[in-house]
Amino acid sequence: MANPIKPDKSVTTTCAYCGVGCGFKAETHQGRIVRMMPWKEGKANHGHSCIKGRFAFDYYVSEDRIRTPMIRSSIDDPWTPVTWEKAIAHAASELRRVQSKYGNKSVGAISSSRCTNEEIFLTQKFARAVLGNNNIDNCARICHSPTQFGLSATVGWGAASQHFDSILQADVIMVVGANPTEGHPVFGSLLKRRVRQGAKLIVIDPRKTETVESPHIKAHAHLNLRPGTNVAVLDSIANVVVRERLFNEAFVKERCEWDEFQRWAEFVSSDRYSPEAIGAEAGVDPELIRKAARMYASGPNSTIYYGLGVTEHSQGSTGVMCLGNLSLACGMLGREGVGINPLRGQGNVQGGSCLGSWPHVFSGYRFVTDDDVRKTFEDDWGVTLDSEPGLRLPNMFDAAIAGHFRGMYIMGEDPVQSDPNQGHIIEAMRQMECVVVQDLFLNETAKYAHVFLPGSSSLEKDGTFTSAERRVNRVRKVVEPLAGYQDWEVLVMLMNAMGYPVKYAHAGEILDEIARLSPAYKGISFDLLDRVGSAQWPCDENAPEGTEVLHREKFPRANGRGTFMLTEYVPTAERTNDKFPLLLTTGRILTQYNVGTQTRRTANNRWHSEDVLEISEHDAKSRGINDGDRVKIASRFGSTELKAKYSTRVASGIVYTTFHHAETRINVITSDLSDWATNCPEYKVTAVEVVRVEKRDAAKRSKSVTHTETVPA
Amino acid sequence: MQLWSELRELEDGIDYGTPPRQGSPVTLEVDGQSITVPSGSSVMLAAAKARRNIPKLCATDTLEAWGSCRLCLVEIEGRSGFPASCTTIVSEGMVVKTQSEKLQQLRKGVLELYLSDFPAEDVEGGWSEFHDMLAQCGVKSHPYEPAETHLESAVDASNPYFLFDPAKCIVCNRCVRACEEIQGTFALTIQGRGFDSKVAAGQDQTFFQSDCVSCGACVQTCPSQALVEKSLFEGEYSRG
Repeated sequence: MANPIKPDKSVTTTCAYCGVGCGFKAETHQGRIVRMMPWKEGKANHGHSCIKGRFAFDYYVSEDRIRTPMIRSSIDDPWTPVTWEKAIAHAASELRRVQSKYGNKSVGAISSSRCTNEEIFLTQKFARAVLGNNNIDNCARICHSPTQFGLSATVGWGAASQHFDSILQADVIMVVGANPTEGHPVFGSLLKRRVRQGAKLIVIDPRKTETVESPHIKAHAHLNLRPGTNVAVLDSIANVVVRERLFNEAFVKERCEWDEFQRWAEFVSSDRYSPEAIGAEAGVDPELIRKAARMYASGPNSTIYYGLGVTEHSQGSTGVMCLGNLSLACGMLGREGVGINPLRGQGNVQGGSCLGSWPHVFSGYRFVTDDDVRKTFEDDWGVTLDSEPGLRLPNMFDAAIAGHFRGMYIMGEDPVQSDPNQGHIIEAMRQMECVVVQDLFLNETAKYAHVFLPGSSSLEKDGTFTSAERRVNRVRKVVEPLAGYQDWEVLVMLMNAMGYPVKYAHAGEILDEIARLSPAYKGISFDLLDRVGSAQWPCDENAPEGTEVLHREKFPRANGRGTFMLTEYVPTAERTNDKFPLLLTTGRILTQYNVGTQTRRTANNRWHSEDVLEISEHDAKSRGINDGDRVKIASRFGSTELKAKYSTRVASGIVYTTFHHAETRINVITSDLSDWATNCPEYKVTAVEVVRVEKRDAAKRSKSVTHTETVPA
Repeated sequence: MQLWSELRELEDGIDYGTPPRQGSPVTLEVDGQSITVPSGSSVMLAAAKARRNIPKLCATDTLEAWGSCRLCLVEIEGRSGFPASCTTIVSEGMVVKTQSEKLQQLRKGVLELYLSDFPAEDVEGGWSEFHDMLAQCGVKSHPYEPAETHLESAVDASNPYFLFDPAKCIVCNRCVRACEEIQGTFALTIQGRGFDSKVAAGQDQTFFQSDCVSCGACVQTCPSQALVEKSLFEGEYSRG
């Protein structure tokens, strides 16, 4: 028959890929998912979708999904499949053994932005209430921690000020270090729709991305700066805004700290940040800097969207502050069509940020050092909590090497593949005595684990995600968990086995606890989400169905005013020289998602089966590299091999690749530099050299790679 | 082009036929029933709000009206002929008739023509919008002698996730418009004229080779399952 199967059931849920948070109707036939249909009432997607959410769902039944818990006494031993009871009991006793041998603070936990809010909240509760320390971190550390820091410092909340639809009322759209048509495709389509309607587009990005130019789209200004010069260029834009008096004096006087503004205005208007001075430093035409400044300041409604191209730098937090300063100075906050908005890479980075998976703050960004805050949690959880902030993710690895960190519980995260300076992390992982990995697959990190607890995909569980627009979306169970339990249920078992009795009848009760203990989530419940579909925090008695636009009347800072931070440009220590003359920057591609754990297990691989190095023809030819040659790329930290591709998207002096495939091992070469404020790694700038690999060598090398490095796909 | 507030009025499980509008209220009469809708709305949308669903194929509320399928014809007092309700904008006091013997006859004629170039074996057991329209208008077969058809045109199964079967294509242009208006990639076009007109990806490439980004918007909007998810078939797709 050429007539298709008719699905017999449909469950409305939320896509687990990027931070857009599209609503989908997952359609099943006889208990098997046969189709993901975009939900017309999804507030982020209005019935639209991209290749990942719409089609790449088969990973959930991938052959290499682990369906049984496994343990082993040494990472050199093979895995032994065991029952859930045995695995949980073993993990519990081992973590306790490590703690009694090396001290209470010798263990920690890591959660992931792929987990639900409920799981993230429960993981930090596990660290604080059960492990008894604040050694809890999450993968937002390596992507958007500077957003939290930089936006809090200027506008008060580390979150998008708008809802996505707000862009359809913008007159000027400024995209900085983001590539929405590939990284956040459904939002990318909305952005392009608005540009086709006549909005002006400014793109600040070293690459000529599809956002810069594609059918019926052409950026009115593309500032193709050298990687690592964001702060310089943004300060220079501010220089023009101040010198040409393009700022919104009324707004600044009414809504901001005027003295701080004056100090900032004096700082940015110095000759050091003139377009001529910075243009030379950043490789940008000074007139383009002026054009961008004038366009942004004149609006009338100008909005900023930015991504990891801003945050993943040694001055990542400073870059975010620059954007905060600029939007305050021009009065582009507090109404529709304006704002400052981080584009979050993973489905629940905002949730990961909000819900206390940080070593220094509880949910709602309240400090563990604050006695009153701690008491609230102590009363609810019935335990005494540690007042000392815990270790950040990179510090956990450093402490492991230094000898006083020996155990970890990791849910849904693969730091060995995704974190910088892989050699260092592997060395740290080898020091551990008890690593518990809870994941769908035996990922790179699981190679160094002692207990493996099979996880459940987002299609197999209940909970919520908080998207990049602060929207809390409902995740609903479509099919039964393949290994028997939803992730939060596994963690509950572990908490109980470690002597901390907890009981939740369903995930909604964890959300109720979140609401009870986190002011911004106060009004959010499964009932509300079932009734209104989704809600943007803050959601409380003043905003019972959530808040679309932040900062309408005041900023969530002590005095209610926005403020200006001095953002001195300090060039990264990672510089080019004769030995490493090119700058490598990394990013994403449409068909693959993050480190590829899910998408590499789908037909999406047909489009992007390996990471390739984009290089300008000029740089390639001067090195004798032909289009398609295998090349070795080396930095001060390491080297790896991949295929070169001539590209007009990168300027001479810059090379680019993606990080979706474990085989490429691109994080072997990225530097160990990180954001001064938050330790977010500087993935976006690495000085490298690229050389052609002789064919004979390549054949030999690829053979050895097949034996040791291949990830099941 | 839609504004954001209009996108937000889309409803799951309901297709108003044309995008919701935000204008000042206009009152008209549809099949004797008074209905008020924002100015700029189509007659089709007004009828849908009055729960008088006019048959349609090329119209859907996520895309601007196109007016090519000729299924949504209505009668409007004071106007000659049978205007398409999707491209006709409401006006104050308009009196619309969505059902009559003549309209029924016209719609049946349109559907029979479509059916004459549609795989006969797939009329039974199908569940597309096209099949819904056949049921709504009571059409099960067509009276035409065998003639030149598209039933032997090659299936494009190059994309791993969906296929295009030209035998089921009614050339309504919805896929092309979805690619432009919703996704913004402009990868699809209608090539050729008249009988030769067909959906083409890129420069007459396969879907996989073309600039198509596999967002799925075309598949979702296709009313006749000519563009359809491969995951809805057991094994290889085969005709007949």
